[in-house]
Amino acid sequence: MKKLTFTDLLITIMVGVVFGILMKFWDDLYTVVKPMMPVARQLLYGMWFMTGVFAFLLIRKPGVALIASIAGAGLSAFIGHGLEVLIYGFAQGLAAELLFAAFRYRKFSMVIAGVAGVFSCAASFGLDMFYGYADLETWALVVKYGLRAISAFIFTGVFAVLIVRALEATGVTQSIRPVAKEEYSLLDR
Amino acid sequence: MPAWFTPNRETWLFRVNPALKFMIFVLLLLFTLFTRNLAFVSWLAVLFGILLYGFSGYPIRKLALLSIPLIISFASSAFTMMLFGKGDTVIWQWGLFKISEESIQHGLLLGTKSLTFGFVGFTFLLTVQPVLFFYAMMQQFRLPSKYAYSFIASIRLLPVVVEEIQVRSNALKVRGITFSRGMKGWGERIQAYAVPLFAQSIRRAQRIAIAMEAKQYQMGAARTYFYPTSYSRMDVVFIGVISVSIASVSMVAFVMN
Amino acid sequence: MKTAITHHREAAFSMTKLRLKFPGEETLLFKDLSFSVRKGEKVLLLGPSGCGKSTLLQVASGIVPNSFELPMKAEALELPDSWGFVFQDPDTQFCMPYVDEELAFVLENLNVPREEMQVLIVASLERVGLHLTDLHTPILELSQGMKQRLALASVLLMEPEVLFLDEPSALLDPEGTKQIWTSIQAATAEQTVVIVEHKIEQIAEWIDRVVLFTDDGKIAADGPPDSIFKDYKEELIRYGIWYPGVWDDYLNSKVFKTLSENRSSTSTVEVLHAEEFNGYRGKKSVIHVPSASIRQGSWVTILGENGSGKSSLLLSLMQLLKTSGALQVNGEPIVQKKRRKTLPAGLSLVFQNPELQFVTNSITDELTISLMSVSSTEANHHAEEMIELFNLPVSGNRHPYQLSVGQKRRLSVATALTSSTDILLLDEPTFGQDARNTFGMLEKLESLRRNGMTIVMVTHDLEIASHFATDIWTVSDGELVSCTRKGGVADARLVYA
Repeated sequence: MKKLTFTDLLITIMVGVVFGILMKFWDDLYTVVKPMMPVARQLLYGMWFMTGVFAFLLIRKPGVALIASIAGAGLSAFIGHGLEVLIYGFAQGLAAELLFAAFRYRKFSMVIAGVAGVFSCAASFGLDMFYGYADLETWALVVKYGLRAISAFIFTGVFAVLIVRALEATGVTQSIRPVAKEEYSLLDR
Repeated sequence: MPAWFTPNRETWLFRVNPALKFMIFVLLLLFTLFTRNLAFVSWLAVLFGILLYGFSGYPIRKLALLSIPLIISFASSAFTMMLFGKGDTVIWQWGLFKISEESIQHGLLLGTKSLTFGFVGFTFLLTVQPVLFFYAMMQQFRLPSKYAYSFIASIRLLPVVVEEIQVRSNALKVRGITFSRGMKGWGERIQAYAVPLFAQSIRRAQRIAIAMEAKQYQMGAARTYFYPTSYSRMDVVFIGVISVSIASVSMVAFVMN
Repeated sequence: MKTAITHHREAAFSMTKLRLKFPGEETLLFKDLSFSVRKGEKVLLLGPSGCGKSTLLQVASGIVPNSFELPMKAEALELPDSWGFVFQDPDTQFCMPYVDEELAFVLENLNVPREEMQVLIVASLERVGLHLTDLHTPILELSQGMKQRLALASVLLMEPEVLFLDEPSALLDPEGTKQIWTSIQAATAEQTVVIVEHKIEQIAEWIDRVVLFTDDGKIAADGPPDSIFKDYKEELIRYGIWYPGVWDDYLNSKVFKTLSENRSSTSTVEVLHAEEFNGYRGKKSVIHVPSASIRQGSWVTILGENGSGKSSLLLSLMQLLKTSGALQVNGEPIVQKKRRKTLPAGLSLVFQNPELQFVTNSITDELTISLMSVSSTEANHHAEEMIELFNLPVSGNRHPYQLSVGQKRRLSVATALTSSTDILLLDEPTFGQDARNTFGMLEKLESLRRNGMTIVMVTHDLEIASHFATDIWTVSDGELVSCTRKGGVADARLVYA
């Protein structure tokens, strides 16, 4: 597996940081939805799991999911979301990274991406248990995190994959992915 | 914006090594995250409230303004937990809403934790310069330079990204684009913004990385630093203040109960 | 490798039989290209866009393949020991927020001790003629031209033997262009300099050698500038080079003569009228229009300094900023709402960056998406018409992002033209374009104008204002200070001065 070049790394961190900014705009919407519609609120929560998965689908190298997720969380923390999101970013990114590693960084399908999102969601649930967000009545716990997991799957498995495909169509991804060996043999024609 | 974030006076907190400050604050956060003792967390909130309001060097008016979202998040997370939290000693019940002694406890714990995190976060953010923070991370904590400069380069471009979001939003209006309702609409909306924004940002990141390497930047190579950072007496003071406070808070919370 | 060393004395760098291709492309960009540059030479590479000039600079510097992988091989490759590279885009060359920090970044890379940095930083800014009262100035506050001089200063800190310049003035206004070339010429008398650039007026006298490339990456001509400029004028025009006198040649061309002969006088019908009109960003008024009107079929160019409020004026007319005062479009008063769902009918706006305006994955979809009410055959007919009119690739399936820079701009104008568009607002539609694309764009706009469209366009280019506009507006410091209606074709410079 190819190691990260400096360009890969800078793109990874930039992607994380841009997600952090989009998250900020997202959060403004989300705050409006927050008190009124608890169901919609959980369904939109999946956006928070997209960063790492999206970056990996884009660059397809080891470490990318974790680094992008930390970068995104770092930016969120930097613009006032509180330092604790860094810890969440780390845990969520690590969960997705481990899943991709389990498939030797060779699977990029919707299902794998979606499951990576659910893994991130599970990691954030683990932290929520310590934080105290999970001390709910059983029915409320199941509804809250059930919806959140579904949302995680939709945002990472469907939306992130679709955005990466749309980016592939634009041609920008071509210059950031490793060159296939066959390309070199075409030089001799 | 930057002018708003200039303190009235630079307090001793500014002179603490930023990387050390960060590390200690993160340790405190981890500690707080895993604690379930309400009295302890409440005292921590008071402690960091004092640190923020008393020693960040910003006027009370600004700090109060910054605290509004913290108060809101305290209230909203505490109330949700009180109404839906688990517990057996029921005080009041109406349909799905149920308030119990335990849920009140949990609600207060959750709210107070949020408040503590908020105070710690702002204390750090308001007393640190991002570039110096990364220089200190490289020098005192051996953070590889590739991460530090990638972050600095990315943060530098934030205003450009924000401007592009605005242009995109205007362009979508001019093109008369409308979105479906429900989840599908959210997908369309994300895609409409994400694709052009990421296309621009990826290309920009790639160009900057190439330009940096063209300026003879090498990952892992030895380098000198424009901003030398080190430990000073202030760091000893800082560690002292934090340890004494934590010790006394623990005394009050754990021993005296 | 053995033969190479003897070569090194006189050559700054050289390559023999270079082969290179872009991944996914069928044909090679370079097939057995051999090229070398002698020490101290000032070389200009000219060619059509996409011929590989920029890639050649990247190979010669080692950026390809060290920082950016492309499939390539060569029989021999002799790269310079030390080199510096100035890129085209002023906004993607820096990693640090402040001027002194950016220059220090280079010194850090070179392991220069902290105590020596300050002197070197000051000296490097001096070398490029960038005089700042405070070294700790945010780079974002510099003009584009100053940023390019900063890029040059940072590169000079490495004391490079060879300097590669990849269109350093392409994205600069006339003032910035002049300054960057003055700085380059003053600072690099000794060095080897290899330049790729379309805007060559400032350097035509200075360079020693011109290398002319063909569309398929071969060298068509190589020699002293005088003879190349004389013998290959046709190529210069075809490649869109801004050579000295290009405007004179264009004004004398058959195309322009037919355009200007039949310039019908504009009608007297007012399509837009503004009175005590203000546009706001937040609570601050960023543009004030005391009184202005636009007749149907006129071509208004808006001139003014950077940041004077030209773009804000377009955004205000389009109702994308909060506005106050009186505004009428096609005789109908525009109600100025705070949050509007739909924009005023009849107006359309073309932004500077075409990519931020595209919303679909193909040219055809891009052209038909706004035509929801018509049948699909009609829509396709419209798309085909536009593709023809704007010289876009015949295959409408191409992704808008995969077009050339000029095609992207033309497509972005085409997408703004729906059946209801009467007034077309454009923000610097020719900025950064080569001569050929610029004239092409102007001709397209002129033909639209003839068919009754009203054109309102922001530009820095006084030649465009002189030869194409019917009205010239000047914006200064957030105020529309003058509106001049030209009788025929007058000289904008008189108005502007």
